[in-house]
Amino acid sequence: MTFLSYEATVAGAGFNRWLVPPAAIAVHMCIGEVYGFSVFNVPLTQAGAGWTIPQVGWAYSVALFMLGISAAVFGRWVERSGPRKAMVASCALFCGGLLVSALAVKLQLLWLLYLGYGVTGGIGLGLGYIAPVSTLIKWFPDRPGMATGMAIMGFGGGALIGAPLGVKLMDHFKTATSVGVAETFVAMAGLYAVVMLFGAAIVRVPAADWKPAGWTPGRHVKPMMTNAAVAVEVAWKTPQFWCLWVVLCMNVSAGIGILGQASKMCSDMFGVGAAVGGGFAGLLSIFNMGGRFVWSSVSDYTGRKAVYCVYFLLGAILYCAVPWTQNVQSRGLFVAVTAVIVTMYGGGFATIPAYLRDLFGTYQVGAIHGRLITAWSVAALLGPSLVNYISTAEIDAGVPRAEAYNSTMFLMAGLLVVGLVANLLVRPVAPKYHRAEPSGG
Amino acid sequence: MKRIALVVAWAVVAVPLGWGVYQSVQKSLPLFVGQAEPAPP
Repeated sequence: MTFLSYEATVAGAGFNRWLVPPAAIAVHMCIGEVYGFSVFNVPLTQAGAGWTIPQVGWAYSVALFMLGISAAVFGRWVERSGPRKAMVASCALFCGGLLVSALAVKLQLLWLLYLGYGVTGGIGLGLGYIAPVSTLIKWFPDRPGMATGMAIMGFGGGALIGAPLGVKLMDHFKTATSVGVAETFVAMAGLYAVVMLFGAAIVRVPAADWKPAGWTPGRHVKPMMTNAAVAVEVAWKTPQFWCLWVVLCMNVSAGIGILGQASKMCSDMFGVGAAVGGGFAGLLSIFNMGGRFVWSSVSDYTGRKAVYCVYFLLGAILYCAVPWTQNVQSRGLFVAVTAVIVTMYGGGFATIPAYLRDLFGTYQVGAIHGRLITAWSVAALLGPSLVNYISTAEIDAGVPRAEAYNSTMFLMAGLLVVGLVANLLVRPVAPKYHRAEPSGG
Repeated sequence: MKRIALVVAWAVVAVPLGWGVYQSVQKSLPLFVGQAEPAPP
């Protein structure tokens, strides 16, 4: 038995389960740095290699793509190996990717940046994202939504930390001949490695027969919740998996449509400058983070299906209200409406692991979650492309800049209606898909 | 001892997250205060 083995992470009697959420948050808030990558765009173009912003931006896109792919491919390995080994592997790959990126800047090799930040770092993102999810669900069978909401809130918070940290470090390291981006990557790799390894050191899995005091599984089963177990190889062939895939893809596509264009949208719709637009984007990031915890925790009381119905119905109404806020030129209403929309975008991310647990059980929920995350990869391409393409086409067709987003908002509402239909189609998984002997937890 | 471990563990994640929220709130202040600067044409 080694420090990294699954057996070494099994908690002894009297272990306090509230030590596990900070372990998960530690990893998620580090890998969430990827959302703050845009602060490196301009400095990377000034690093002397003659790179352009679109070229540099590909490193971010490759990282997010690899997140989805690696979560899907390595999900079963993560389940078998346990959270500690997966967190250490995530740390090695994510922080190693940052170090390779620093080398790429020094050697002025664009392909090495893609390999370091995009491929290597991206695989680290995928492993780190799914590593603590099933562990949290097993520790909090009475509150799975709240538990996974905390971890995934950490991922949202990672952007709030990573972006200003990157800017401050570059300010610190810059010289007359260097923008300081390579040194910043190295410093961030060191800082993040310490925090991620701290998370890996304190994480524990519950013993097979552990359950919260006073909690009895049979007594707490709700209509859409099972105590059975479904293997990942079976789960992804069920209609429920694909309904949830559409649910996640539509929810994320619509949310990214606003988040990705927040600053520009605010400037175009209300005629404000870049500083105000940037402030709006920062504010949305806070609501994105908060929504992950709040909505996911609420789902423990309302059930997942009900809370997704709220995301989609209320979301569609609010998207349709965005053009009206522009029409009446109410910046306050615009901020309020978009803030609520973004809380539900974050909530959609955070509630999905608990929804999977309800339908497929805890047996391989991490691996099933890994496969579902491919919906995120698709949405990351779909959402921003739709907003960009439609708003640009509207402006080219002579629509005033302030009204160029109206069609996009109605389209986003349409995507949410598709998600609503998929959510309403979700039914409990048929017993024929259950494993003969449910595995504990 | 267990309580100290719990406080330390939560502090390790709460302090950076709190700092990040503070930075974002600072950044968002122009949205609520002062004269809106005109957008470029």
